[in-house]
Amino acid sequence: MAARFLSKSSSGSSLLGALGTSLLGVGSVARQTTSNLTYSDIFFQQQRTFIQMGTKLKVVDNSGAKRVMCIQALKSKKGAKLGDIIIGSVKEAQPRGKVKKGDVVYGVVVRAAMQRGRCDGSHVRFDDNAVVLVNKQGEPIGTRVFGPVPHELRKKKHVKILALAEHIA
Amino acid sequence: MRLEKCWFCSSTIYPGHGIQFVRNDAKIFRFCRSKCHKNFKMKRNPRKVKWTKAYRRLHGKDMTQDSTFEFERKRNRPQRYDRINTEKVLQAIPKISKVKATREKAHITKRLSVGKINRKKGDRRELEQSISLVKAPSVLKEDATLTLPKQKVTVSYAQTENTPMEE
Repeated sequence: MAARFLSKSSSGSSLLGALGTSLLGVGSVARQTTSNLTYSDIFFQQQRTFIQMGTKLKVVDNSGAKRVMCIQALKSKKGAKLGDIIIGSVKEAQPRGKVKKGDVVYGVVVRAAMQRGRCDGSHVRFDDNAVVLVNKQGEPIGTRVFGPVPHELRKKKHVKILALAEHIA
Repeated sequence: MRLEKCWFCSSTIYPGHGIQFVRNDAKIFRFCRSKCHKNFKMKRNPRKVKWTKAYRRLHGKDMTQDSTFEFERKRNRPQRYDRINTEKVLQAIPKISKVKATREKAHITKRLSVGKINRKKGDRRELEQSISLVKAPSVLKEDATLTLPKQKVTVSYAQTENTPMEE
């Protein structure tokens, strides 16, 4: 909009010129403050946080759902970590599956991008956020689990998921 | 408890240190510290990063083949606990690491000795060529102790070189 005004006034009145330069001044200041942190720095310093309301997770079992959006992380105000249970709404589902789009389901987080500390002092982190759908009792709805799962699930008593897993990290 | 090796720099990871990254194809990458982790995230190849063991071994800076490496190889079969065996192993570990360290040091000194000889040769040549910047050649002729003992007898050559300067 400002550009159109400037182009219209080809004579280049001092008022509009001043406006243009002031706008430019503001823009350059903003650019100066962000140039210290380049795009590459932001890319590498990605801070991974908890799984909270609104987080989209991948579903890694054959229950029929593909993506689930977290609507509540049980047992924590901050959010869910690796091994916790969440309540989610199915956002994307396969046409013929046990769950449909729009269902409210429980899920166990089996992969989290945020690192979780283990009892020996080490930390583990995965590549993405993934969940396995379970029922209220904690038993998985699907019959297969894809990808690696952590052995934190053993402590949380999700033994069935560990049994179905193809690789335990 | 198991002492792992950092995927990036190949240093040992002691318990309580570092981060383990599990990729979706179930490959586990262990890092000793955030430096290695960040370099991995930058997709750097450890074989091209100068301070890693992978680079040093690849470019022949460090020892690659030795019998002492056989002791440290990963054995995936769990062994039944044998008290005598364990004691022997615990006694052997410092001895083996000492031998390994001396051999690695010898490898490095051998590699660097070539440069040492070349530097000495270069210094000798520089002394012979540029000593006139420090002392006048006439002074060197009078006092034989100020010059390096020449390896070749080229007395006549030196005299003809100095005469134009004297004039």
